[in-house]
Amino acid sequence: MSTERVAAAIRDSVAASRPLRISGRGMWLDAGRPVRADATLSLKDDSGVVSYVPGDLTLTVRAGTPLAEIADVTSERDQWLPLDPYGSPDGSIGATLATASAGPLASSFGLARDLVLGVEFVNGSGETIRGGGKVVKNVAGFDLSRLLTGSWGTLGVITEATLRLYARPAVDRTFVIDLGGPEKHVTSIVRAIVTSPLAPYALLLLSASAARSIGVGESPACLIRFGGNEAVVRAQVGALSQLSRPEELETKIWLAVRQLDGNSHSTIRISSLPQRVVAHAARMLHEDIPFIRTSIDPRRGILRIAVDSDGEVDQRELPADLRVTGENGGGASEVIFEKLPPEVWAQVSPSVVADGLSRGIRTAYDPHNVLNPGILGD
Amino acid sequence: MVAERLAEIVGPAHVLSRQSELLVYNSDGLPGYRRQPRLAVFPGTRDEAIAVVRFLAAERLPFVPRGAGTGLSGGALADDIVVVGLHRLKKIISLDIENRRATVEPGVVNLRLNKHVAPHGLLYAPDPSSEAACTIGGNVAENAGGPHCLKYGVTLNHVLAMTVVLPSGEIVELGSKVGERDGYDLRGAFIGSEGCFGLALEITVKLTPKPQAVRTLLADFTSVDKAAHVTSAIIASGIVPAALEFMDGATIRVVEDSIYAAGYPRDAEAILLIELDGLEAGVVADQETVRRICLDGGARQVRVARDDAERMKLWQGRKKAFGAMGRLAPHLIVQDAVIPRTKLPEILATIHAISEKYSVMVCNVFHAGDGNLHPNIAYSADDPAESERVHKAMVEIMQACIAAGGSITGEHGVGLDKLGYMESIFSETSLNAMCELRGVFDPERRSNPGKVVPVHACKEWHGIPGSAKSRGAREASPLEAEPSRPIAR
Repeated sequence: MSTERVAAAIRDSVAASRPLRISGRGMWLDAGRPVRADATLSLKDDSGVVSYVPGDLTLTVRAGTPLAEIADVTSERDQWLPLDPYGSPDGSIGATLATASAGPLASSFGLARDLVLGVEFVNGSGETIRGGGKVVKNVAGFDLSRLLTGSWGTLGVITEATLRLYARPAVDRTFVIDLGGPEKHVTSIVRAIVTSPLAPYALLLLSASAARSIGVGESPACLIRFGGNEAVVRAQVGALSQLSRPEELETKIWLAVRQLDGNSHSTIRISSLPQRVVAHAARMLHEDIPFIRTSIDPRRGILRIAVDSDGEVDQRELPADLRVTGENGGGASEVIFEKLPPEVWAQVSPSVVADGLSRGIRTAYDPHNVLNPGILGD
Repeated sequence: MVAERLAEIVGPAHVLSRQSELLVYNSDGLPGYRRQPRLAVFPGTRDEAIAVVRFLAAERLPFVPRGAGTGLSGGALADDIVVVGLHRLKKIISLDIENRRATVEPGVVNLRLNKHVAPHGLLYAPDPSSEAACTIGGNVAENAGGPHCLKYGVTLNHVLAMTVVLPSGEIVELGSKVGERDGYDLRGAFIGSEGCFGLALEITVKLTPKPQAVRTLLADFTSVDKAAHVTSAIIASGIVPAALEFMDGATIRVVEDSIYAAGYPRDAEAILLIELDGLEAGVVADQETVRRICLDGGARQVRVARDDAERMKLWQGRKKAFGAMGRLAPHLIVQDAVIPRTKLPEILATIHAISEKYSVMVCNVFHAGDGNLHPNIAYSADDPAESERVHKAMVEIMQACIAAGGSITGEHGVGLDKLGYMESIFSETSLNAMCELRGVFDPERRSNPGKVVPVHACKEWHGIPGSAKSRGAREASPLEAEPSRPIAR
């Protein structure tokens, strides 16, 4: 697979009026709204490093490259792409960018949009386009890299991306704090951590069911990851010990965290003002429903809920759960549906691209409506 | 009459139509370019701004949004069309200390926002050198950077939401004030659109806690090459300094001769201004590592600012360096190319060779940490022969940066100045995709016409000559900018 073959496939689909389902390595195809397409364009075979100059801390890869491969290649030079989206590390960078996926590291290193420097993509007319570049700072031309990131393949098929890397920290340690105490106590610990000068790489609160699913105990827990030079990590661990009783975990726990969704049939992300999320965190964490795994990134203001397939959850319970955070719909939070049973989308979130600008851009970049039609709605 | 109608909206005191009054608006921070606006209008409230844009839409008049006019790309110039100046919209609308965000009007000056939030232990991270004058609205339009964006990111990484009036007069909300949102990243597309997509009337930005500790180091070198290699070595070490700035000998001496004298060693051929920040313990350790890298790389000495006053002084010299260049000649041309950081020593040597070839004095003062060069030449635009040599030298420098795999602009924007280079780094289809994106925000291309993307690169502009569409577009765009030359008109 090459850019030219992607372009040819798209031109063929236009000629045959046969829309395409765009797929990276096929790991996350249950996310997003149902796609009206009967052919799939997979980028699985378009994989590998195009260029890597460690001294520049930039990496250019083909879109089908698995995140795990990027991790391997960069760790040989003590570097990494600090992007840890939920799901399998075998997922592709192209899909990660297309879906703007990110994980617990985002509150320190930024979202996908903050780490992408440039993209090459093929639009819905089969034209190859480049946005951004290969350097870490760039304002040449309108920002097509940002536009494509999070467009779920509906504006173009990403074929190549240049990413910003970071040096791996000399020290990288992870701790867990038991949040099984009374709600008030939990709220005060979380507030203390969030308002302290501590600058963890990642900070994630887990409900009991979530903690259980990754094997860190039976009660709600707080995972906290410190990185940097020896001195800064030691100082932070010391400060954390003043606030609570942290226990050290192996860093690979974060790989387990990425599997939190398990075989969920619904995954919902609620994004709100960080302090509002902190205020509700304790209550959310203490609702121990076995088939609902809740995780909270208090600094980013994200509450993420994964509901299992084997749990017999009535669909009407979901909004009730959301209401616990309060004010939803009153402009106080944003709700992002990552994954829902196909039949539910139409009533819960028919479209996120129905506004005039989004429609206009979609028409300009995919005039024949052949790229992932329906995945973001119409 | 257009001026009278605009005066009805904003009051007669806020419309300028006399040519003498408009002289002030005929250039931006790059004085080599001059374009005389037809008139200028300065709305004082959000509603007035909307009314102005709607009036211009109804009359199908092209216009150029303008903040403080500190830009360095000729982007805010209006060639015989209307300037819509937004500096009167300067309210800080709200400040949410707990959630670390502020909502401001576009005319709020960058430094004023910083002073406003400082008592709460917060800062607004993007810090262009023009921070004392430039506006947040202008920063959004240009996706402004600054020395500290090496660690903290550029404007794009700090804007959460915007209320925008499109050139049609329609109001849209981009991004979200309360959280992350799915759908297309229209906020990302708007930031850095150089006034071509509309006017941001309300901007919600992320605020950053002030670091617990800050250390500013000054390392001086007897050669540019040594300082360039040390820059690469610091980046490769994995330490992310808050800022890593480079000044060459020529720049040092100009600054030291000026009122911005910072106490830089006059006999040095290069200095690096390195700032480290974060938690005290980490900064102390990094400071030692950086000091060692500098000394191992041939620094004569590494000085650490003892207090805030000394720190500010060291920064003042850097931030006012372009201003100090005014001592050399009446005009200044500044480039903004970005190169891969490992290419720094090689490119600086190339720039030196080019300066000798054309007998021009290139001063280098730039954001070394992210490879964002600012080679600049002070010259007299009234001397055609000198202008010619300056122009040729700059073109050659830019070509070298492009050949090194870089970009033509890191933070100043394309504007008029770099229009001619767009085709060197983007294909026809890529430029056309940009035209199409602009066409969605501004179908008539009335907002800042003729900037950013060369007009002839837009597919539908090749339309049938004389057709309604191409005629309409032409009328809307009297400024058919082709690559301009830095020569005063």
